[in-house]
Amino acid sequence: MSLLQLQDVHVTYNGASNGGVVALSGISLDVAEGELLAVIGPSGCGKSTLLNLIAGFIDPDQGRVLFAGDPVQRPGPERAVVFQDGALFPWLTVAGNIDFVMRMQKRPKPERARVQRELIELVGLEGFEHAHPHELSGGMRQRVAIARALAMEPRVLLMDEPFGALDAQTRERLQDELLRIWRQTQKTIVFVTHNVEEAAYLGDRVVVMSQRPGTIVEAVTVDMGRPRSRTEPDICALKSRLFHLLAGTEPGEEDPTKRACACAKE
Amino acid sequence: MPDVSAGPRLFVRRLLVVAPIALGLGLWLAVAWVVRGRGAPFPGPAETLVYLLEALRGRELLGHSIYAHVGASVGRWAVGFLGGFLGAIVVAVLAGASRVLERILMPLVYVLQLVPGLAWVPVAILLFGLSNQATVFMIVVTALGPIAVNMVAGIRSAKEEHLRVARMAGAGTGEILLHVLLPGSVPHLMSGLRVGLGNSWRVVVAAEMVVGSGMGLGYSIIQSRWTLDYASAFVCIILICLVGLVVEYVGFTRLEAATVKRWGMVRS
Repeated sequence: MSLLQLQDVHVTYNGASNGGVVALSGISLDVAEGELLAVIGPSGCGKSTLLNLIAGFIDPDQGRVLFAGDPVQRPGPERAVVFQDGALFPWLTVAGNIDFVMRMQKRPKPERARVQRELIELVGLEGFEHAHPHELSGGMRQRVAIARALAMEPRVLLMDEPFGALDAQTRERLQDELLRIWRQTQKTIVFVTHNVEEAAYLGDRVVVMSQRPGTIVEAVTVDMGRPRSRTEPDICALKSRLFHLLAGTEPGEEDPTKRACACAKE
Repeated sequence: MPDVSAGPRLFVRRLLVVAPIALGLGLWLAVAWVVRGRGAPFPGPAETLVYLLEALRGRELLGHSIYAHVGASVGRWAVGFLGGFLGAIVVAVLAGASRVLERILMPLVYVLQLVPGLAWVPVAILLFGLSNQATVFMIVVTALGPIAVNMVAGIRSAKEEHLRVARMAGAGTGEILLHVLLPGSVPHLMSGLRVGLGNSWRVVVAAEMVVGSGMGLGYSIIQSRWTLDYASAFVCIILICLVGLVVEYVGFTRLEAATVKRWGMVRS
């Protein structure tokens, strides 16, 4: 059984009755346990809305969101979100931020201390336990955000463009770190991004969404082993296909984005 | 070889530190000279300094040492400010927790802020008579407004993501308030504290003049009307400034260094 199921979900902002904005329309999606699902789409396509639904921050106007077979009704630690800007508490240290969620979960102190140490090691932030978020680089802040989400011991990690604000090199390094963490922890991950390359590099499957109202254009299963190269022909073909799906054109037509995969010519 | 350009720049910087003091003293001397020419005994800086040193060495003023007067004023201020601060927290927590309560409470607080501190004199006297409590009451009502208003603004400016993180982890309303909303409102709170501290210190001195109870800097100043000991009043004014400066630059700066500066939450 799928860990996560969305069944014909519709979401309208400002009320469906008075002609509100349709954010999501007829979304059906299954996410398997342990899967790394990437979701791409243009901005405003409802990618974040999709995550907010799974997280339980908002309710669907129609359809159902099931987690482990039960309807999602409210936010919970089993569905932890990593936000784009990290959303760390500036008044807490790195260790304090990770500890915060466990304190709220009312877990015993020795366990919290142990998990905290393990996670700081997992995300490679030894020596920064007592630093405050503003003293860290953007990449380091996202590592803390990932550690804090993992501290809740979630079954699925919901990542909302977590590397969107990082420079290209940091972004690539964190993508590799994420894959390592995913392998080590075997969590299910739903990774929302607007970056085709990122989706192609990370996803077991890539869900391509359309412009508002958000619908699923296609869920592309990625038939590639890991570790993937960022430049091999397979991934270039995938990227090219994703570009076409996003743009609504057929392969063979000229790429309307003019972002034809440079590496394909190598 | 020393940096040639550093010399004049250092000199200018030192000059700029000394300049306001020199300007102040110069104006003081000039006014004293003019007023004395009209036959009134206007104390100059030198006389005042001598008096200050004598007072610090133990010369009594109106039956008490200068330390007792400073202590009385600062004590009233501390008690009143603490009262206003606690009251502001209660108001801010209630208004922060519920939009309805905010609509009911905050208009009163805004109105409260429009009332100048001294205008509370009749209310204070009717409530507490000519007593220490009357002074403290006036401090409480002046300190409360700016702190409460800023704290509510701080709570309202909480980031949605922060609330969501807490909710995911299963935090209840009380925990969210205590662990997310209140710490998040500290940068705003600092502005409120600064305004509240300044306003209430001015009110202490003014209230002591009207409702005063035999001791305190404001009381001493107003008494010089009858004793004609104007130099003592000038000493008290200097001490009022010094207390304000110490609280602002020693106390407050440290408080900021330990909180908003350390957290990188300084508001521009």
